[in-house]
Amino acid sequence: MSLEIDRVSKSFDGAASVLEEVSLDVADGEFLALLGPSGSGKTTLLNVISGLIRPDAGRLCLDGRDITDQAAGARRFGMVFQSYALFRHMSVAQNVGFGLRVLPRSERPSRAARRARVAELLGLIEMEDLADRYPAQLSGGQQQRVAMARALAISPRLLLLDEPFSALDAQVRRSLRGSVRDLQRKVGVTAILVTHDQAEAFEIADRVAVMNAGRIEQLGTPDDLRSRPATPFVKDFVEQG
Amino acid sequence: MRRIVLVSLAILFAIVVIVLPVAAIFTRAFAEGLGVWAQAVTEPETLAALRLTVLTALIVLPINIVFGLCAAWAIARFRFPGRRALLVLIEVPFAISPIVAGLCFLLIYGAYGPVGGALQPYGVQLMFNLTGIVLVSLFVTCPFVMREVLPVLAVSGEDEERAALTLGASGWQIFRFVTFPNITWALVYGAILATARAIGEFGAVSVVSGAIRGQTMTLPLQIELLYNDYNTTGAFAAATVLALLALVTLVLRGLVSVFHPARGAAP
Repeated sequence: MSLEIDRVSKSFDGAASVLEEVSLDVADGEFLALLGPSGSGKTTLLNVISGLIRPDAGRLCLDGRDITDQAAGARRFGMVFQSYALFRHMSVAQNVGFGLRVLPRSERPSRAARRARVAELLGLIEMEDLADRYPAQLSGGQQQRVAMARALAISPRLLLLDEPFSALDAQVRRSLRGSVRDLQRKVGVTAILVTHDQAEAFEIADRVAVMNAGRIEQLGTPDDLRSRPATPFVKDFVEQG
Repeated sequence: MRRIVLVSLAILFAIVVIVLPVAAIFTRAFAEGLGVWAQAVTEPETLAALRLTVLTALIVLPINIVFGLCAAWAIARFRFPGRRALLVLIEVPFAISPIVAGLCFLLIYGAYGPVGGALQPYGVQLMFNLTGIVLVSLFVTCPFVMREVLPVLAVSGEDEERAALTLGASGWQIFRFVTFPNITWALVYGAILATARAIGEFGAVSVVSGAIRGQTMTLPLQIELLYNDYNTTGAFAAATVLALLALVTLVLRGLVSVFHPARGAAP
């Protein structure tokens, strides 16, 4: 699915705007990173895309269809939260199967079909043997993978990742980057990653949008950004990382 | 040495203040034998009082749960004008003496009060009957559920709820599958405390009950009545029933802590 963000603006409680007429196109199957320091508006933009925050102005189109007014649940975008937000009282399998369980009766797969789908996803993240564990019994990296599987279970039209590696230690982080990228390719879903870590963005993403103060400073491939930074801010940010 | 002193002090305090009085109720109640006790307990007036007390608790409990959940949810999840005021207001019943609360209800809902007076021409009487007793019991017990649920709701679950939302769950499904399991134990705990309080309430109920023998006497009121009638055995026998009800809630409370999922699933 391709996503078209057209002049989206957002401000909170009349304060200075967090997003100022941000426009951005994400191609089908692409892995795009929103990179920027904290307060640059990247997480707000992700929340606007997910439908958790309503923009003050602007439009969102998915494959040409306007989804600006669509509710978060109806968008069917898989989201991985910074805290993972796993359901504490549900097992790994129940967490992964949640999105299928809450489907309206007419669309809900049978119990057996749901179980098969969950098993398939657990296979994908190589955690078949941990299906009955609870989130508190998992390592950070395992929790992150369960959050991924849960988001993928609904066959999302878009995968949204909000700083998915920030709670992990450096070594796990590096090994998970590759596996997240692999998973996204395998499933073939368009993905948007929010991060403040330049190295992470450059390693995972096809294209990177560098954000600052509610605007996109530059959008390009990692090579573009490195060799032809458009603004001093981008140059600084890229060199720093 | 210091430990021994501390522990003995704690035990001594518990014995003097808690164990002795409770033990005294039971010794005095059974002093004239089990038969006399059984006769006193099955006295029609005492049975009626017991029935009224349990009925009141059963009416108050679900209202408390629904209201406490709504209030806690609203305060934990939304920012609205008057939110802080609601938070303080809900604690008022803890601060006000129950007897004052009873008088307030009488002033407003009594036959000469603005609400009670307005309803009287239609033959609706709010005070000196079950309605009045339920109303003041609600007032006295309404903070318990919210007080237990709110802290749990406040520290947990908002991200989980957002995750459920993005996964397509409806508002009801989010509550049923995500929020509710997180707060169940706090809810049960609050409900038990509220029930214990409703069963034992004396001051507020004594003002609005009207004290009609065999009709609007709750168990605590009946005990006082029997005692004032110099029917000491009857009073203490009825007191054992009330104490047993309280013990049941205590046991329930204990069970809640025992069965509270301490396994890795819950933090």
